[in-house]
Amino acid sequence: MSNQALVDAEWALAHLDDAKVVFIEVDEDTEAYAGNHVKNAIALNWKTDLQDPVRRDFVNKEQFEALLSAKGVSNDDTVVLYGGNNNWFAAYAYWYFKLYGHGDVRLLDGGRKKWELDGRELVSEVPSRAATKYVAKEQDRSIRAFREDVLKAIGTQNLVDVRSPDEYAGRLLAPAHLPQEAARIGGHIPTAANIPWSKAANEDGSFKSIDELKALYEGAGVDLKKDTIAYCRIGERSAHSWFVLHELLGVKNVSNYDGSWTEYGSLVGVPVAVGDEPGSA
Amino acid sequence: MSGCGAVVGGVSLDNVDITNQAVIQGVISSGDVPASVGYARLLDRNDEFVAEVPISKQGEFRFFTVAGDWTVVALVPGANSRTPVQATIGKVLDVDIAVSK
Repeated sequence: MSNQALVDAEWALAHLDDAKVVFIEVDEDTEAYAGNHVKNAIALNWKTDLQDPVRRDFVNKEQFEALLSAKGVSNDDTVVLYGGNNNWFAAYAYWYFKLYGHGDVRLLDGGRKKWELDGRELVSEVPSRAATKYVAKEQDRSIRAFREDVLKAIGTQNLVDVRSPDEYAGRLLAPAHLPQEAARIGGHIPTAANIPWSKAANEDGSFKSIDELKALYEGAGVDLKKDTIAYCRIGERSAHSWFVLHELLGVKNVSNYDGSWTEYGSLVGVPVAVGDEPGSA
Repeated sequence: MSGCGAVVGGVSLDNVDITNQAVIQGVISSGDVPASVGYARLLDRNDEFVAEVPISKQGEFRFFTVAGDWTVVALVPGANSRTPVQATIGKVLDVDIAVSK
């Protein structure tokens, strides 16, 4: 697949020693990185680096600047993100870098899984990068949706629930690699289509072809001329789908609702649909 | 707020109330020894992706789900296999999977 936003292993191998290309492994915890990682890659922790330590929100512009400065990332560096979980958190970080206006950011197709399954080299040495003076832009709100945007979109715009069909229907409350939660209700936002993120990925974690991706969304009856909001449970699987729509298919009016079901499913008084059908507004 | 990240080998059963969920766990082996690199993927009755975990160095995986028919797909470098399973609420189902290359 040829796309500026996506690089393959051959491209990565040719740039592992390029000082202006920064490989960053992103995961919810950095246990995997600590064991081994792509040569010269640094790590970002989805929770401790990218989430506010007190409120449920992102780190702010100044915190993001301090983070990337300390990590040795410059504004004119090419940032290549990869990670486990089929690149969920790497896609989330990609969206996050775009949110704060980084110029050249890319995703390694297939992430850590494809790299491992292909038997490519992983190393344990942690590189040192000199600190920089990173300057972020204000958040690009056009790619981030909040709950008010979602409520307005019910029945009028596209809502795309990218969780598994059982989570969408309310039969499961979390992905099945996690204990099933008891406190939150199950279901989905009324009128949301269910297009699981996994339909966009091959078994090795790489993205399907552009033609297959187009067919996926067109076949699901989503009118991409309308604004589209993607969501999942916490916003990282939907960042994967946002990447497909916005970066690979070039659909510009797409945003990611990072509050997702953990916020919406806990709101008092909002409409909820259960079962396999989208439901009505 | 905890994320959706998969824990290597699966989340521990410690402090998890399994009376209201079905647990599917096991070991993936390759060449008669536990596989040390690979993934376990869970598919639903329609072959849709439900979850995936990197296996532990001892080849272990664990899923938490509801009653029903599921398929565990073992992915190791150069090979994979599918194992249908039936899960029951309140039970821990042990599934050992041998993958041949």
